[in-house]
Amino acid sequence: MPTRVETLDNGLKVILRPIPDAKALSTWVTYRIGSRNEVPGMTGSTHWVEHMLFKGGGKLKKGDIDRLVSRLGGKMNAFTDTDFTTYFETIPASAMDTALLIESERMRNAAFDPREVEAERTVVISEREGAENQPEFLVEEELWGLAFHVHPYHWTPIGYKQDLARFERDPLYRHYLRYYAPNNAFLVMVGGFDLAVAMQHIREAFAPLKPEPAPEPMPLVEPEQRGERRSDLRRPGSADLLAIGWHVPPFVHEDTPALIVLSTILGGWRGFTPFAAGEWRSRSNRLYRALVETKLATDTTVRQELKVDPALLIANATLAPKASLDAVEAVVDREVERLRKTAPAKSELDRAKRQVRTWFRYENDGVTYQGMMMTVMEALSSWDAADGVLARVEKVKPEEIRRAAARHLVDDRRSVVRFHAQEASA
Amino acid sequence: MSLPDRTVLDNGAVLVSIALPSNPFLAFRGSVPAGVAAEGEDRGVAEFTSRLLLGGTRRTSAAKLADRLEGIGSTLEFHASEEVLTFQGRCTRETAAETVRLLVECLGRPAFPAKEVERVRGEILNDLRIEADDTRHRAMRALAEAVFPKGHPYGRDPKADPGRVRRIARRDLVAFHEAHVGPEGLIFAVTGDIDRDLIERSIAAPLSRLKGDGHGPVEIPPPGTHRPRTVRIPMPHKSQADIAIGTQAVSRLHQDYYAVNLANLLLGRIGLFGRLGKNLRDDQGLAYYAFSSLDTRTAGGLWSAAAGVNPANIVRAVRGIREELDRLRTDPFSADELANGRDNQVGSLVVSLERNAEVAGELHRLEYYGLGMDFLERYADIVRSLSDDAVRGAARRSFDPDACSLVVAGPVGKTRVSL
Repeated sequence: MPTRVETLDNGLKVILRPIPDAKALSTWVTYRIGSRNEVPGMTGSTHWVEHMLFKGGGKLKKGDIDRLVSRLGGKMNAFTDTDFTTYFETIPASAMDTALLIESERMRNAAFDPREVEAERTVVISEREGAENQPEFLVEEELWGLAFHVHPYHWTPIGYKQDLARFERDPLYRHYLRYYAPNNAFLVMVGGFDLAVAMQHIREAFAPLKPEPAPEPMPLVEPEQRGERRSDLRRPGSADLLAIGWHVPPFVHEDTPALIVLSTILGGWRGFTPFAAGEWRSRSNRLYRALVETKLATDTTVRQELKVDPALLIANATLAPKASLDAVEAVVDREVERLRKTAPAKSELDRAKRQVRTWFRYENDGVTYQGMMMTVMEALSSWDAADGVLARVEKVKPEEIRRAAARHLVDDRRSVVRFHAQEASA
Repeated sequence: MSLPDRTVLDNGAVLVSIALPSNPFLAFRGSVPAGVAAEGEDRGVAEFTSRLLLGGTRRTSAAKLADRLEGIGSTLEFHASEEVLTFQGRCTRETAAETVRLLVECLGRPAFPAKEVERVRGEILNDLRIEADDTRHRAMRALAEAVFPKGHPYGRDPKADPGRVRRIARRDLVAFHEAHVGPEGLIFAVTGDIDRDLIERSIAAPLSRLKGDGHGPVEIPPPGTHRPRTVRIPMPHKSQADIAIGTQAVSRLHQDYYAVNLANLLLGRIGLFGRLGKNLRDDQGLAYYAFSSLDTRTAGGLWSAAAGVNPANIVRAVRGIREELDRLRTDPFSADELANGRDNQVGSLVVSLERNAEVAGELHRLEYYGLGMDFLERYADIVRSLSDDAVRGAARRSFDPDACSLVVAGPVGKTRVSL
C-alpha cells in the first residue's frame, strides 16, 4: 500500500499510510526508549513514565486526554516494551487533530505533578501485583533474569517492586525529558486522511518541538552464555510449568526468517505481534503433537522474541496433572534434537510458510493493527521490514532450518525454568 | 456501510454477510444453540462438546484436520457459552470453500474419538485447577453463582466441576451433539473479501449440506431471585485481591437496555473506566483496574463492578465502589457526562468496527438478538433519543448497592468486608 515517509527538521520521522475508504484513523507515536535503556535501581521507570503521560500537561489538563478521545468514541492505549514505548489513538477520521494535539503535548509538555506521581505509585505496584498473581509471569521474569546477566533484558518492563516503591519524581521527570523528544520518536498514521492535509497538520503540531541531544546508544552486550542455566521455582500454584529460552540473534539478523519458520514448525505461528491471534492456538506443530496429543501437557507455545538486541526463542508448556517436568523436558529436548539433526519435509515447511504468510494478512486487519505492525517494525528496523522478512521466509530451504536449529538451539546457551506448583495453604 | 445481506438456507441456517473488500481476507463468526442452556441436568457437556469439534470427524482425524486447516492458513475455533456454542475463524477467498467445508464437517460429523475425549477431559480438569488458582476468575465465578442461584445457566460454570467432568461419558457428548448441533438455529456471519458468487459457492453451498434434526434454540427461563450475599475466598499465597460486586441486569431486548448500557458506560467504562476508575485509580491510586461490566443475554443479564487491589486496600476499595453507587442518587450523571457518553457510543461505531473480526461479531449479534439488518443505521438515533432522566433512573435502579452481592478473592487475611 502506498506509504509516505518524511522526517521533520527536528528529527521526527513521519510514516503515513492513507486508506481512502477508511472511516477511522490510527495514530501511533513511538519513542525509542524501553526497559533496555534503564539501569538497576530504576527498573520500571519507563513504564511509570508511560502512566504519567495520560495525566495532561501543557494545553491539556488532567482528564482531558481521556475526555477528548472518549467523546469521539475512540480507543487509546500505550505499551512499554523492552525496546520502545508507544502511544496510540484510533478515532473517527474526521478528528485527526485531536490525536495530533494529544501526542504533541505528550511529547514535551507532560505535567508530572508530584502528587500525581505519588498517586500513580500504588497503581503501578498494583499492576505488578496483579501480574505476580499469575505463575506464568513469575516464570517469565525468572527466565529473562536467568538468561541475561549483563544486558537490561534481565528485567521485564514492569520493573522490580523494590524500585517502584522508592522512585522519586525528579529522576522520572528527567527520564521523560531525556528521551521524549522528536528526534527520538516516530509517528505512524494509518487510515482515512488526505496525505497532504495530514502532513501539513503534523508539521503544525510537531515542528515547533525542539530536539534533544541524541541519546547515547545503549552499550551493554550480553556475553555469550557458556553452559546451561536452570532455576526451579516452588510456589503455590495449580499446574507445573516449563519454560526454555535459547539465545537468538536480533530481529535484523539474517537468520531471523529461518528462525521464524523453525519456531512455526516447533510451536506454531501467531503473527509478528501477538494481539491478533486471541485465543487461537496452532495444533499442527511438533510440540503440540508431542506434548498435548500425548496428554503430557494441556498447552504449549513457542515464540521467537523479535527484539532490537539478541533475545530469546522461548518454548512454554503447561503440564497435565500427572506429567513430570522431567518427562516434558525430555520431549522438548527430543524435538529440538530432531530439528538440529534432520531438515523438515517440504510439506511441513510449506505449511509453516503459509501460516506465516496468511497471518500477516490477518494481522493487518483494520487501521489500529496496521499502525501497530508498522510501529513494531519501525522500532525494530524499518516500518516495512515485515515485507522483507516475509519474502525471505518464502525462500527458506529445509536445510536452513536444520542449520538454524544447530546454530541457535544449543543446550549450553539455553536457560530452563521449572515451576513446581505447590499446594496452597488454606 | 451498506446493509448486510441476510439469507435463510433451505436447511434453516441463517447466513448474514457484508462485503468489506479492503481487508483482503474473510472473518466469520457463528453459533448453534448448543450452549450451557441446552444442557439440562447434563452439566459440562456443552463445553466438552465444543472442545471436541476439532478432535476429529468420521472422515478426518484431529491431526489431519489441524494439518488441513493450518496447511491453508485458516483458523477455526469453537467455544461454549451460556446460550450458544460459537465458532469463529479466518481464511482467504481462495481457501474459503475448504475452510467452510471443514467447519461443516466438524459441526455435522464429529467422531468423538475415545483418545480425544480423554485428552479433552484432562484439559478441562487442568483448566479448572488453573482457574481455581486465579483470583479474578474465582471472584467473577462466585459472583455469577451468587447472582444466578439454583443452577441457572447464567450462573453455572460451563466447565462444570471436576467430579462431573470425570463422569461425562462419550455417549453423553454424542447425545448432546445430536440433539443440539445442526442447521436449526445456526447463524453464520461473514465479512471481508467476499461477493455474492463467493458467498453462494464457497459458503452457502457447504452450509446447506449440514443436516440434523436439532431442537433449535431452547427457552431460557428467567433467573430466580437474587439474594445478595458476601463471599470471601481466602487465597493467602497471592499478591493481590480481586473484588467483584454485582447483581442481575436487564436482558438485551429489555426496553431499558440502552439506558442501562449508557449508565454503565459512564459509571465504569468510558475512558479510563468512568467514575469508578476516577475514584479508585485516579484519585486514590488503589487499583490498576477498576471497572464495571454489563453482560446482557436473552433472558437476563449480569451487571458487575470489579477491581484488583493490594490486600491492605480491600476495605477502601469496596468503600470507594459503594460511594460511587450511592453517588448515582446524590450526584447523578450531569448533562455533560451524558452528552459525552452518547457521543462516545455513536462515535465508537466507526472505531469498534474497523476490523473484519469485529464486524463479523456484530453481524452475528444483529441476527442472534433479532435487532434487524438496519440496526447499525438506527443505532445513533436510539442513543440520541435517550433522555437524561431515563439514564439516571436506569442507573439508580440497576446499580443499587443494596441489591448487590460482594465477592473478595485473594489474600483477604482477617479483613471483614461488606458493601
